[in-house]
Amino acid sequence: MSRDRAGLARSAVSSPTPGALSPPPPGAMGGLWRPPWRPVAFCGWRWSHRGFAARAAERVVPRLRPGTSGAGGAETALRRLGTWRRPSPAPELALQPPPRRPKSTNPFTRAQEEDWRRRNKTVLTYVAAAAVGMLGASYAAVPLYRLYCQTTGLGGSAVAGHASDQIENMVPVKDRIIKVTFNADVHASLQWNFRPQQTEIYVVPGETALAFYKAKNPTDKPVIGISTYNVVPFEAGQYFNKIQCFCFEEQRLNPQEEVDMPVFFYIDPEFAEDPRMVNVDLITLSYTFFEAKEGQQLPVPGYH
Amino acid sequence: MSTAMNFGSKTFQPRPPDKGSFPLDHFGECKSFKEKFMKCLRDSKFENALCRKESKAYLECRMERQLMAQEPLEKLGFGDLTDGKPKRNQ
Repeated sequence: MSRDRAGLARSAVSSPTPGALSPPPPGAMGGLWRPPWRPVAFCGWRWSHRGFAARAAERVVPRLRPGTSGAGGAETALRRLGTWRRPSPAPELALQPPPRRPKSTNPFTRAQEEDWRRRNKTVLTYVAAAAVGMLGASYAAVPLYRLYCQTTGLGGSAVAGHASDQIENMVPVKDRIIKVTFNADVHASLQWNFRPQQTEIYVVPGETALAFYKAKNPTDKPVIGISTYNVVPFEAGQYFNKIQCFCFEEQRLNPQEEVDMPVFFYIDPEFAEDPRMVNVDLITLSYTFFEAKEGQQLPVPGYH
Repeated sequence: MSTAMNFGSKTFQPRPPDKGSFPLDHFGECKSFKEKFMKCLRDSKFENALCRKESKAYLECRMERQLMAQEPLEKLGFGDLTDGKPKRNQ
């Protein structure tokens, strides 16, 4: 493509700028009309190199649609701009090109430019979406982290090593006697008789202890229950370790059946060294039974 | 389940038991051991330290009848009772 023709082509497209002269002669479809002046910004090599200055200059004037060049295009383009300037031979006015206009009238390169522009817009949209997504994720992190802690059980509580060798090696702290009282509750929809078999028990930290609950199913149908527990005071609950119990698993009672439910537990010896537990002498263990229905999910931690 | 309306403060987190759940003793196979243990507790005014032999016997009964996973008693904190030598801290 000859440089000259390219320059002509582009400068012809730039013709509908303020200060345009008379419309091109008929027959020249935006290709060969040559303005009597030569705007420096548009000619030849400067244009084809797509200099930044040229593009910057383009943005000054609002964009004209491609294809407005050509016969009669100058006038209609100016009307669209909303200004109607008398054509004047002032060369500086011609230095303000309409921006974001395809730089060539060659349909192939124009399509390519349009494609690039579209792609740029797409990339910009994706980047903006990613930025907004990051902002949203930072807000969502708070409840998500709380959910994670609840699922994995790392709810900020101190997780002392509950390995069985710890039980083996732990030494009872004989001078700290703690009274453990027992409480039994049943959900309203469950008709079991559920009660502890001892009201209290005196243990020391580091000593394993056994306690019993009793449950009876007075109905004529087998009932499946599932239980959870609670330890009061809450801070002492982290030292209350159950080796084995009957909670968090479905327990089935046949009609008119009564069973003993043992709880085998110990209180961590580090309880005696915790300054917050100095005044704690009473721990209450409370079990609550719910009826386990098909498909019902109770918010209890599972270990299997 | 904690129903206290203390928003923001740490709530109680129930933890699953270390060794899982006891299978239910539907046939009352270890009921006699349990009765012995409860009687001992009532006699000693619910002092656990005095009834550890009975609790050990109950757990052994459970293990024999497949109602509990077999485990050496030392791992269940009865190390001083199995040896016969008390290793208690005074």
